[in-house]
Amino acid sequence: MKKKVMVVDDSRILQMQIGKILSGTDYEVACYCQSGEEAVEKYGEVKPDVVTMDIIMPGMDGLEATRKILEKDSEATIIMVSSLAYDDTLEEAKRIGARGFIGKPFERQQVLGALEEVLAET
Amino acid sequence: MDTGLSQEKLREILDRVMRNVTEKESGILLHQEKDPPRGDLYTVYIVFDKGFRHSVSMCAEENMFKRIARHMMQEERVEPQDVEDCAKEYCNVLCGHIAAELYRATKVASRFGLPVFGRGNCQPQNHRKQFEISYSSDRNEWIQLIHHTYVPE
Repeated sequence: MKKKVMVVDDSRILQMQIGKILSGTDYEVACYCQSGEEAVEKYGEVKPDVVTMDIIMPGMDGLEATRKILEKDSEATIIMVSSLAYDDTLEEAKRIGARGFIGKPFERQQVLGALEEVLAET
Repeated sequence: MDTGLSQEKLREILDRVMRNVTEKESGILLHQEKDPPRGDLYTVYIVFDKGFRHSVSMCAEENMFKRIARHMMQEERVEPQDVEDCAKEYCNVLCGHIAAELYRATKVASRFGLPVFGRGNCQPQNHRKQFEISYSSDRNEWIQLIHHTYVPE
């Protein structure tokens, strides 16, 4: 059975890129969310195995959305996806409870590798 | 506040990030040029609003943005909306890397807003151009990176 991925990003380009990477793999995109608010709202209904979460989005950012999802489900597996790959942001993401980080721009193997790594830990 | 870095240092950081991100995002290798892009131009810019008050814009010929879009989408045919959305994502990624480099240099975390895309050579309100760096590609497509400082009213 394929692992379900919830892709959270306000950029349809990023959504498309991740969708293409996951096509034909052991993962399927269960849901695309355009915002942190939408991700928090749909998480319970979709019950993904893993969430890829952008950080900068209009309204609720990805760090806040991660915090709120983990409040609902402390076992949630969330990977941050962002170009903000520096100590301050990485530390905060880790402190909140994100399990992994993918820097933008990414290559196919980075995404698949990160998914495999976090799901192996669960 | 401004970054506190010399213009030379800031220019060096932006140039390095521009080349690296452009190559990774689009496969395009950039070469510095003296002249700016000409012809049918489009601009995408982002305003930094936390940490540092400045903005970054990229002004390029339509062909450059189209090529970037084709690579990002892995499609030969792209629509005008695709070009705009890809330019915005590309600018977003560029600014994330700029924020990361500025953090390493200054230990000040910065954040930025949503990208804005438009026709012509445009810049954000209340910002003044500080410097620009022009580039050409292997296919003679041109792009210019422009750094602006915030000028309060």
